[in-house]
Amino acid sequence: MRRRALIVGLAAAGAAVAAGLYRFTDLFVKHYPPTPYDDVLAALTDREQAARFGAAVAGMADANDLAEKLRPVLKSGGLDTAVKADIAADRLTEVGGWVVPQSVAQISALAAKN
Amino acid sequence: MTGFRDARTLDTATVLEPDLAIIGGGPAGISLALSLAGTKLNILLLESGGENFESQNQKMYAGSIGEQSYIALDAGRLRFLGGGTNHWGGWCRPMDEIDFEARSWMPHSGWPFPRKALEPYFPRAQALVEAGPWIYDQKGDAETASRGSVLPLGKGGLYTSWFQFSKMRGDVLPTQFGKRYKDELTRAANITPLLQANITAIRLSPDARRVERLDVATFESNGGAGKRFTVRPRFVVLAAGGMENARLLLASNDVMKAGVGNQNDLVGRFFADNPIPRDVATLVSFAGPLAPFYGSNQKLDDGAIMRATFAPTAAFCRSAQVAGSLSTIEQPIELDDLGKAAVVTTAIALGVDASNAKAYSLGCGMELTPDPDRRLTLTGEKDSLGLPRLKLEMRIADEEFARYRRTLGEMGRQLLASGTGMLRIDKHSRDDWMKTMDWGHHHVGTTRMHADPKQGVVNADSRVHGLSNLYIAGSSVFPTYGASNPTMNLIALTLRLADHLKKVTA
Ligand SMILES: Cc1cc2nc3c(=O)[nH]c(=O)nc-3n(C[C@H](O)[C@H](O)[C@H](O)COP(=O)(O)OP(=O)(O)OC[C@H]3O[C@@H](n4cnc5c(N)ncnc54)[C@H](O)[C@@H]3O)c2cc1C
Repeated sequence: MRRRALIVGLAAAGAAVAAGLYRFTDLFVKHYPPTPYDDVLAALTDREQAARFGAAVAGMADANDLAEKLRPVLKSGGLDTAVKADIAADRLTEVGGWVVPQSVAQISALAAKN
Repeated sequence: MTGFRDARTLDTATVLEPDLAIIGGGPAGISLALSLAGTKLNILLLESGGENFESQNQKMYAGSIGEQSYIALDAGRLRFLGGGTNHWGGWCRPMDEIDFEARSWMPHSGWPFPRKALEPYFPRAQALVEAGPWIYDQKGDAETASRGSVLPLGKGGLYTSWFQFSKMRGDVLPTQFGKRYKDELTRAANITPLLQANITAIRLSPDARRVERLDVATFESNGGAGKRFTVRPRFVVLAAGGMENARLLLASNDVMKAGVGNQNDLVGRFFADNPIPRDVATLVSFAGPLAPFYGSNQKLDDGAIMRATFAPTAAFCRSAQVAGSLSTIEQPIELDDLGKAAVVTTAIALGVDASNAKAYSLGCGMELTPDPDRRLTLTGEKDSLGLPRLKLEMRIADEEFARYRRTLGEMGRQLLASGTGMLRIDKHSRDDWMKTMDWGHHHVGTTRMHADPKQGVVNADSRVHGLSNLYIAGSSVFPTYGASNPTMNLIALTLRLADHLKKVTA
């Protein structure tokens, strides 16, 4: 009985440590300090790569403006809808030579700013 | 007198009087002669060189180049039987319909006839270059389906188009016209190929209405000047190559002071080549490796050798006001960190799996806009037979790069729209473009074709305006160029000229 309690206790402690590592370190998942644009950045599955790409976006508006532009677009259907609408409307831009939809450049730039 | 002869064995006082003198034994001259084999015409095919490379002949091609860099004038040509086919790459593709059209956004563009006028001659031209069955864009996708699928680019400005290749013999170069057709030329009872025969002047009648005679000179075997003799033909076809055609006309200036056919100052102007900038862009295929026919030549069971390229549609050329271009996969490359980030971010945003994505560098063959100031002129310097040497003023406007960039931009859009990949444009300044610039060695435009003598040197029949018996064969008559390699096309045009000559000489 005591032995069982010990195992359960150890498992609970392990889970707590893992949860702590998950929540308070970047070991399993990258944590970002909260920003006023987290609602927008939540559309990114890989925020780290987006930030790396976004660092190459030249002459982008400030973070507030970017977020303001992106919010309504994302609200009306998510990033993939925004991206497809950009492509259909030929709203493409070059980032380090890469031809990308405007919304990809904007959200990546926003990620790079935070 | 038939069968191959060596001009050095003729006497100085010799006067040859063929029905037709063809100046130049390159693919144009040889194709013309072969297509007139068996006719009643007594044909003299005058070739400057012998059967193999000789430096004394080759040196006659040396010339100078203006400020804009270009290939040395004696490096991109070969002066012996077979001409440029002794070192060509064998890339073939018929010119597109739009290449023949007058394009409002491209000054001086347009042929005096549509592509349809050349189409009857394509099969024979294809046979002469030994490029196998006619497949190209009509059947390219289907014929290569067993090797893989074409990249689905979806609706838009670019599509997968097809090159074919002159047949390879092991790792030996494609069809070399001199060697390949020597026997046929020898067998033709009405053709005398005369080697080591350098035409040094085209002499006109005093009224400048017709060619009266040709001056011919040989070298001694020690390289010194040899014999000089005369040819008095009824008809002449100048087929000495895209630069030399202009040189001979300009240098023959005793009756027409500006040079033969140069009454409107057009000979030598409008020179062009196909710029071939390398590493122009990076194409990423999200799904992994592209089908092998994009990156290397594929030999099909029926003998055809095929390679895919990306060409702009006529509709896109018109709407985006771009010139012709053929963008070809060069090689697989590794993406840098920024590239990987671009691919991951964009693919996720598109909802596409790019975990096997593969990147390739793209090269291109571009079409240049006709430009009268891109030109060949004569200099005071002379070659060892006394012919003035050429100077080339090459020019390539920034607008040419801007146009092609629009085409690349459209390819990038299509890749995104179809969810198949994405594109990075790797050229941002003139220096970038020029740093990796190659040239096609496709010498075109210097004796351009136009129905109006004020705008062209030859008429729609390839006859020099104002002269009753002088014709020009080869890509120097192309008034607009397209991005396709010229040789198969210039042969088709030469075969059309042969048909015309059959009529007018009958
Ligand atoms: C490296 C290289 C690769 C190429 N690859 C391709 C390719 O893949 N596909 C393609 O379509 N094209 C290619 N080309 C271009 C091709 O070679 C030319 O389009 C073709 O050779 C032109 O044919 P032509 O008969 O008009 O002229 P030429 O081939 O230049 O022949 C002219 C002939 O005239 C002779 N001649 C010159 N002056 C005189 C004179 N005064 N008297 C008597 N004879 C004279 C010369 O000796 C020569 O034999 C390539 C060229 C080069 C240099």
